[in-house]
Amino acid sequence: MMLHRLIAAIFFIALMLVSVTTINAQSVRPPGNAVNQSTDEQIGTSNTLGPDSQSKYWHDLRQGKSGLSTTGRSGGLLIQAQGEQWRLIRKNYIIKYSGWVLAAVLVILVLFFLIRGKIRLKGGRSGQTISRFSLPHRTAHWFMASIFIMLGLSGLILLLGRTALAPLIGKNVYSIFASAAMQGHNLFGPLFIVALVWMYYLFVPGNFFKMVDLKWILKGGGLIGGHASAGHYNFGEKVWFWAVAIVGLLISITGIILEFPWLSANLQLLQISTIVHAIGAVGLIAFALGHIYIGTIGMEGALDSMTTGDVDVNWAKEHHDLWYEEVTGEKSATHDQGETGHAQVYSQDKITGV
Amino acid sequence: MARMKFLCDAERCIECNACVTACKNEHEVPWGINRRRVVTLSDGKPGERSISVACMHCSDAPCMAVCPVDCFYQTPDGVVLHNKDLCIGCGYCFFACPFGAPQYPQAGNFGSRGKMDKCTFCAGGPDADHSAEEFKKYGRNRMAEGKLPICAEMCSTKALLAGDGNIVSNIYRERVVGRGFGSGAWGWGRAYPGSVSN
Amino acid sequence: MLRKKIGAVANGPRLSSALKEMTKGTVDRRTFLKRSGLAVGGIGAAATLAGGRVQKAHAAGSDAKVELKKSVCTNCSVGCTVMAEVQNGVWIGQEPGFDSPFNLGAHCAKGAAAREAAHGDRRLKYPTKLVDGKWKRISWDDAINEIGDKMLDIKKTSGPDSVYWLGSAKHNNEQAYLFRKLYAFWGSNNGDHQARICHSTTVAGVANTWGYGAMTNSYNDIHKSKSMILFGSNPTEAHPVAMQHLMKAKENNNAPLIVVDPRFTRTAAKATEFVRMRPGTDVPVVWGILWHIFENGWEDKEYIRQRVWGLQYVKEEVAKWTPEETERVTGIPGRQLKRVARTLANNRPGTLIWCMGGTQHTTGNNNTRAYCILQLALGNIGKSGGGANIFRGHDNVQGATDFCVLSHSLPGYYGLKKGSWKHWARVWDVDYEYLKGNFASEKLMQSKGIPVSRWIDGVLEDKGNIDQPDNVRGMVFWGHAPNSQTRGVEMKKAMEKLDLMVVIDPYPTVSAVMHDRKDGVYLLPASTQYETYGSVTASNRSLQWREKVIEPVFESLPDHTIMYKFAKKLGFADEMFKHIAINNDEPLIEDVTREFNKGMWTIGYTGQTPERLKAHMKYQHTFDKTTLQARGGPLDGEYYGLPWPCWGTGDIKHPGTPNLYDPSKPVAEGGLCFRNRFGLKSPEKWGSENLLADGSYPVDSEIKDGYPEFTMAMLKKLGWDKDLTDTERTFIEGLAGDKTNWKVDLTGGIQRVAIKHGCAPFGNAKARTVVWNFPDPIPTHREPLYTNRRDLMDKYATYDDKRAYRLPTLYASIQKNDYSKNYPIILTSGRLVEYEGGGDESRSNPWLAELQQDMFVEINIADANDLGIREGEMVWVETPEKSKIKVKAMLTERVGKGVAFLPFHFGGHFQGEDRRSKYPEGADPYVLGEAANTAMTYGYDSVTQMQETKASLCKITRA
Repeated sequence: MMLHRLIAAIFFIALMLVSVTTINAQSVRPPGNAVNQSTDEQIGTSNTLGPDSQSKYWHDLRQGKSGLSTTGRSGGLLIQAQGEQWRLIRKNYIIKYSGWVLAAVLVILVLFFLIRGKIRLKGGRSGQTISRFSLPHRTAHWFMASIFIMLGLSGLILLLGRTALAPLIGKNVYSIFASAAMQGHNLFGPLFIVALVWMYYLFVPGNFFKMVDLKWILKGGGLIGGHASAGHYNFGEKVWFWAVAIVGLLISITGIILEFPWLSANLQLLQISTIVHAIGAVGLIAFALGHIYIGTIGMEGALDSMTTGDVDVNWAKEHHDLWYEEVTGEKSATHDQGETGHAQVYSQDKITGV
Repeated sequence: MARMKFLCDAERCIECNACVTACKNEHEVPWGINRRRVVTLSDGKPGERSISVACMHCSDAPCMAVCPVDCFYQTPDGVVLHNKDLCIGCGYCFFACPFGAPQYPQAGNFGSRGKMDKCTFCAGGPDADHSAEEFKKYGRNRMAEGKLPICAEMCSTKALLAGDGNIVSNIYRERVVGRGFGSGAWGWGRAYPGSVSN
Repeated sequence: MLRKKIGAVANGPRLSSALKEMTKGTVDRRTFLKRSGLAVGGIGAAATLAGGRVQKAHAAGSDAKVELKKSVCTNCSVGCTVMAEVQNGVWIGQEPGFDSPFNLGAHCAKGAAAREAAHGDRRLKYPTKLVDGKWKRISWDDAINEIGDKMLDIKKTSGPDSVYWLGSAKHNNEQAYLFRKLYAFWGSNNGDHQARICHSTTVAGVANTWGYGAMTNSYNDIHKSKSMILFGSNPTEAHPVAMQHLMKAKENNNAPLIVVDPRFTRTAAKATEFVRMRPGTDVPVVWGILWHIFENGWEDKEYIRQRVWGLQYVKEEVAKWTPEETERVTGIPGRQLKRVARTLANNRPGTLIWCMGGTQHTTGNNNTRAYCILQLALGNIGKSGGGANIFRGHDNVQGATDFCVLSHSLPGYYGLKKGSWKHWARVWDVDYEYLKGNFASEKLMQSKGIPVSRWIDGVLEDKGNIDQPDNVRGMVFWGHAPNSQTRGVEMKKAMEKLDLMVVIDPYPTVSAVMHDRKDGVYLLPASTQYETYGSVTASNRSLQWREKVIEPVFESLPDHTIMYKFAKKLGFADEMFKHIAINNDEPLIEDVTREFNKGMWTIGYTGQTPERLKAHMKYQHTFDKTTLQARGGPLDGEYYGLPWPCWGTGDIKHPGTPNLYDPSKPVAEGGLCFRNRFGLKSPEKWGSENLLADGSYPVDSEIKDGYPEFTMAMLKKLGWDKDLTDTERTFIEGLAGDKTNWKVDLTGGIQRVAIKHGCAPFGNAKARTVVWNFPDPIPTHREPLYTNRRDLMDKYATYDDKRAYRLPTLYASIQKNDYSKNYPIILTSGRLVEYEGGGDESRSNPWLAELQQDMFVEINIADANDLGIREGEMVWVETPEKSKIKVKAMLTERVGKGVAFLPFHFGGHFQGEDRRSKYPEGADPYVLGEAANTAMTYGYDSVTQMQETKASLCKITRA
């Protein structure tokens, strides 16, 4: 338990540090010279044009050499050369591929559904249930889910709207959408961090990788090579958990930087942040589509765990046999190798009869 | 149609900031927003030069390309303007702009960006010319009165030139010939690619 | 093609609603803050500024016509035309004044932000007095009555010399003239203004060299220069628009631009050669250059033979300044000065420009004379493209100097002699005896008053040690920033000792807050020059006529109206305004102009009638941008602004004198020669030599040689008296007969006749390079009072202590102490482009204040590293007089090693203490900071009492 709290604490501290270190003290007369040079050479020379050749001087300027200005925060920079780079990355990669990636995932899921169909309970519903997620777990999940969907949709509007939406509904209407999307995104963004920390704290037990996960991988999660044993969470779920945790952290940090631009005088940081934020978010959305698929129409009985919190015993035996054994102390038919995991954690949970 | 351009002659600019205050005065730009700024390079050392910079009204403007709500437009004479009614204050144009032109007032409790503000080449915005609305959002519309940007008109040493690109570059060329050397039309290579060979 | 700006965008309500609130009663500070879009304190307001621009709405009746008013910028002396767009009495915008030959539409940051004066958010809004340490609003009548009673009480008990009238270079000519007249009628010579601490050493040095103490050519004439050398002048910050003209010479003529300065200024960055000197060594630098010129025979020998006297004595002094000695004293290698000398010699005519860096020294008069001698040796004076181009500081410091708002002269540099008083008594149409009766004594009437630089000593010095009956007990600060003066800590003491302090200014100024008085302080709101009209003299001696842009804002009144109110209260209004119409307490400006036209014969302020000046503003576009001469049009042949001397009465239509002492034109067309001012022969000690010009004379002169200044006797001798009209002759005969000279002939007849025959009324003499009546007849180097070069003490020590201007003045008794151990760094000061003077006005202008928010000290990076100081840290700068200021460190190579620089425009902090709370509600400037002069030390020029602000010592420590 200590470990989890520690990780949660580190998570928060990391966020704080990012915010703090990006605050640059604002000086009206910033340093004019970083290098300490002897001034003696100035005396006795008529050179008021400086040591550099004209061409070098202007070349350096084009590469982003900075001066100082009495106006504005980032006023000293004349040409920020990386802006064009940023624009091209955004245009040629992020906007271009994020649409394709999401569309591809949707197509794959549809195809998968058509080919494989819904994963049914082999033994059908037993009528007996077992408690899988407590109320706090479910609340945290749905809290996160709703924010995630809200942020995902608003983010996608901002990212792809000009290409996909504006031509359909016109610039003026789209601008209202976009404005609302941005306001909403900014308003709910910080809640994502709350949800993330909360989720992390509740869900991290049982999400550490084990040997059994290797076997699960080898069996392709049960798609190939027969039944794949799993504890409370299978490998896929664990990856999803860590993806949310780690990518979510990145999105949170970059999100804070972007939401409070005055924290940082560093334009490059902002630019990198938008890129990281967008890539991370699109990745998570793609992953989330799979998660939603498997949690709803993809697998019979899965949704129960997040609605009532109680899953059918057969579902537990078929998909999380090791967990079932731990909780009940009973051996499930599908079990092929015993392993004790988190008995202590869930020992208080009992099978509940209908 | 004339192609409007800015040119700052670094050999002449003396960092007097007249362009900055002329702009503020003309458009009633509030404290904290600077549509134009003067940057001094190698401050206090041999080689010190100053350059006045604002929106350069680029030919292939990155801000226009990157704006998520497509709020920018370019007038027939090449002035890049934007529609504040559409602007959502996302900051992307600032990320893309090579010249640091876009400015944002802080709005809201979290200090997020308000609607972007930038140099209009004294050409107002999409609202009706000389309307109160236009003035409130974009400042005066001198172009519609047949006048050029106030910053250049008031430049203390005529370092900052504004107007038809051909005329501006001719003035500059004459000057360069006169002094026997030139420092290049600062920023033109980037702002107006293909239009001049520095 | 050009269309008018339409009215819908006027920002009128900003002003009118403010006015409405004024009439309601107290002004809510927050309202003003809100209106200006600023949070308390201004600094860092960006972070709290709510989005959007300053609120504005339609001006009532927005279809009203937009009028264009021409005024002149009230900052520096370039004289940029401000084109104001006014609608419904509201100043809504500024257009470039392209027609103006001076600025060709250009402005600097200050000129481009001139309109803020009309908003006046931080202005002093109504008469206020200090009661028990709190500011209390009072009426104008009460204020004038209370102040007047107190003054009369002081006059009765201590004499008129115990009230000090401190005037301003911000007055227009008419106001400056009236102000000078006011304290003449009051009965004291204790009046002065900023020229004392600006170019007084220039005026003294230059006038004593060749006759007049003003810029010889013009900014525009620099277009023709083949070389330019600047001493202690930084036009990019102090006169930005002047740089336009310098750049033109640099680019079109490939003229070398040489900057001699302790700092690598922004001007130096534009120079072709930068010469870094040690502060306070101007004379050695000039002599070091001249050494090479004489050594190589590069001087203009023919010019010198004809027009320069005494150079052989100078040569002896210069011979001592070998390259080695020069380098030892100034730090400049000999080979660089040789290059400078050769450049100047090869590129003639060249102009020489100097400013405060040269004048504000204990040896300021030596410096200015040395510059003159350099130009004379090169033969550059009296030539287009050459000249001593002395850039004056304030918009009308030239005019205020010409009207002698000074403690040592009457208007027109007539001096204070009995004859001078009688001349002005005739002009004013009052009895000499009447004037004398107002003074404490005839002796005091003819003795120089206390200069502004020393008013503190007039208050603090032991009564027995001052040459007047009592200490100064009442001070009137009429448009003066106390933080532009040194010895701030003692000034605070002096302010606290006074019985009466009156501040008359558009802004409260630092005078309102730097002391800890509980009462006896009055703040009276004066209008700016945009709220009145009248003439103003630019640095090049051209007069421009300002139009009134807007009516005075809030309860402010124009200065001349306030002067009338005081004159009325003090009981001499009828005499003082005898020939000046008064409308509702406001003297008619044109009548004032006409009155001074009647008396200013010495320097030719007689031809510039209001009508002619107004025509010049109207036909600005007809003047050539280089020669300043009108080509065609109604003013054909006249020079823009009728640069003085504009000889004779307005009727003879003298075109003005574009370049002084230029004999290539007839006098009637603006030509001149050097003035015969110092007698016909040099004193015996200096060879009893002839001082008249030798074979040089203005074109068309009927006397083909030098001649003395004109008198009636001389006219008769030449047989030219028959050209006088009967009126003229009658007046002359009635005045002093044959002894009547060109300066006191109120008809202008003598001038007219002399000019008719191609002669300059003031004679034709040689310039003198030896000013035998000065402490150092030949300019010599003397170390600053606070110097760290103790090794130079044996050769270059300063003067002995002396008495001047009614006060003891210290020199040797300060210099003999060695402070260099504890105070190792040389301290100098100067301007920033965004601010002007004490900065009360410009720091109250949001468009400017935003650009410079922190008072700072420039420290060389090497020094800073030695001291462990980092960029942006707060440091204490302490001077040997133990006063100290807390400022931000700015590390730069702009200053050399061992030198620190302070900008002097800040105020409102005092030795580390923020005094913002002491300002009257809503009138505190947006930006406050330590005043550099709080720390600046003692030191006054040996002739003019100019303060030393450019070379002192300090120590810098981390705060």
